[in-house]
Amino acid sequence: MSSKPFSSVPPSRISRRVLLAGAGLVAAGIVGTRTVRQWMKQRASVFVAKNQTYGGQLVQTIRDGLIASGIDAATLKGKKVLLKPNMVEPSREAPHMTTHPAIILAAAEVFRGFGASVTVGEGPGHVRDTDMALAESGVQDALDSSKLPFADLNYQEVAWVENRGHASKLVGFWFPRGAAEADVVVSLPKMKTHHWVGVTAAMKNLYGVIPGIKYGWPKNVLHHNGIPETVFDINASLPRTIAIVDGIDCMEGDGPIMGTKKKMGLVVIGANPAAVDATICRLMDLDPAQVPYLQLAGGRLGPIDDGLISQHGEKWQPLASPFKILDKPHLQRLRTHKGVLVT
Amino acid sequence: MGWLENILDTLSTKPVIGYAPDAAPATEPTALAALALIAHDRQPKAKPATDSLTSIQSPDGSVGVRQKELEPQWPTSLAVLAWQAYDKQAYATNIDRAVSWILEVKGKAMEQTSDMGHNTTLVGWSWADGTHSWIEPTAFHVLALKVTGRSEHPRTREAITLLLDRQLPSGGCNYGNTSVLGQMLRPHVQPTGIALLALAKEQDQGNRIAKSVAWLRKALSKETTPASLAWGALGLAAHGVTLPDAPEWLETAAKRVQSHDNSPHKLALLALAAAGPRPLTPDP
Repeated sequence: MSSKPFSSVPPSRISRRVLLAGAGLVAAGIVGTRTVRQWMKQRASVFVAKNQTYGGQLVQTIRDGLIASGIDAATLKGKKVLLKPNMVEPSREAPHMTTHPAIILAAAEVFRGFGASVTVGEGPGHVRDTDMALAESGVQDALDSSKLPFADLNYQEVAWVENRGHASKLVGFWFPRGAAEADVVVSLPKMKTHHWVGVTAAMKNLYGVIPGIKYGWPKNVLHHNGIPETVFDINASLPRTIAIVDGIDCMEGDGPIMGTKKKMGLVVIGANPAAVDATICRLMDLDPAQVPYLQLAGGRLGPIDDGLISQHGEKWQPLASPFKILDKPHLQRLRTHKGVLVT
Repeated sequence: MGWLENILDTLSTKPVIGYAPDAAPATEPTALAALALIAHDRQPKAKPATDSLTSIQSPDGSVGVRQKELEPQWPTSLAVLAWQAYDKQAYATNIDRAVSWILEVKGKAMEQTSDMGHNTTLVGWSWADGTHSWIEPTAFHVLALKVTGRSEHPRTREAITLLLDRQLPSGGCNYGNTSVLGQMLRPHVQPTGIALLALAKEQDQGNRIAKSVAWLRKALSKETTPASLAWGALGLAAHGVTLPDAPEWLETAAKRVQSHDNSPHKLALLALAAAGPRPLTPDP
């Protein structure tokens, strides 16, 4: 796979700004001001809520979780927030595959309450017909009821952003306008196992901000450059990100598409997706240090070491419940305990 | 059909379109707009669209996704279909250059492993350079080769084999996987419709085409989302299947688009579906 820019538009070595291809416009981006050195020593806070239901007080939960995670609501006033749920390949037969609309609506209400301008956006990785994804997931009805704007990230005009992660050979990424112009990208994943990388949560969910019109359906350009590497690089190259994980009805076994439902009743929130994903792994009784993209992220994008993560809300230990994973050699090292069932 | 005439009138005044009303023009929607106008006997109105596609064509013959985005080049096939349908003589040079590029590029074959259910060694076309072959780009390029008289070209024949291989055992296909790590995946309407367009008039010893046609007939309904409905209807029509409610469904879908995102791409696609697959398939 070529390491040349994935377009004839030359990359720019700009660190905080993005150039809209063909428009000549420059949009101000907000990038975290922390240096890599600071990240390496950074602690992070993760909030875990238990006994959550889709018909429950999710707005309160999410608001509490964001504040407990150290997010200052005042910093979001007037900002553009992109809510990015997981709608990779929705099916009415498998609602546990995709982010529940109730989570999206609740998150939108919270961020709107903070004074932010909210858009829901997704670039489904396996379906070109985004309307189908919206219909099958139930998200369209939610958008209509709340008059929430939707950005089809697969087809928008794109902006070139330098790869700040440098784990893969990709020089940069084409981000769709909705992601490039966002001040904050909120990853709203479903808590699932993944048959290639072990786990998919806040960080892997951000594959969905990569436009299919440039990278394919599936987004093979990313796969061919290494899934863990490109997960890491995308997260490193986006503006500020927050994670709100739908861990109420989860997926175990053959995730991220064909797995079975596992009820956990959790919502997990944090301002550092790496730390959130590490906690998600522990809740699944999986070792985050064995998840390849977390191996890359640990100490670089955020902490994955439990000792560096401040737990708010509930402690993860009593809530951990082993998730079934495929009985494949590349996944066995994820299991923290011997003798636990694998499919 | 008032809804159809309204769409065609709009496309007639502005056939160079994007995926959204305020979006930059893009190759796929513009090609589909041209095809829809041609299919509904408004050929002269398609010329700005077909001309605009020539301005996106690169020296190597490929056509990128948008005016200033020369990569990836998967819509090259759609540009060929539009040029061929409009006037193959007038665009002969563009077509020849594009076909030369199409015949040269290949989806990346991969070593066969037990993890993947489909034959990963077959070569079709990919979405982006250096990546694997998938259903829709392969099907679109097959259509382009067929309409330009290359149905028997070895690349076309191998691609047909690939498309058949990617059909699920119970019918239909998705983006192009069958089973992964031992688990059979689900079919989707849009890629099934597009694949069936490319598989029109093909022989199939394994009965896979018939199964996919049967699956698609059951899958289409008034609830089917617009793009999937359009491609599904086109795919069935290519195999002689016309659903009696299809015209009503297409109209309902068009109204849904107009009330939601008013996407010119989807409206062009629905208009094309209303005409049938003629401009997408070789002359009989």
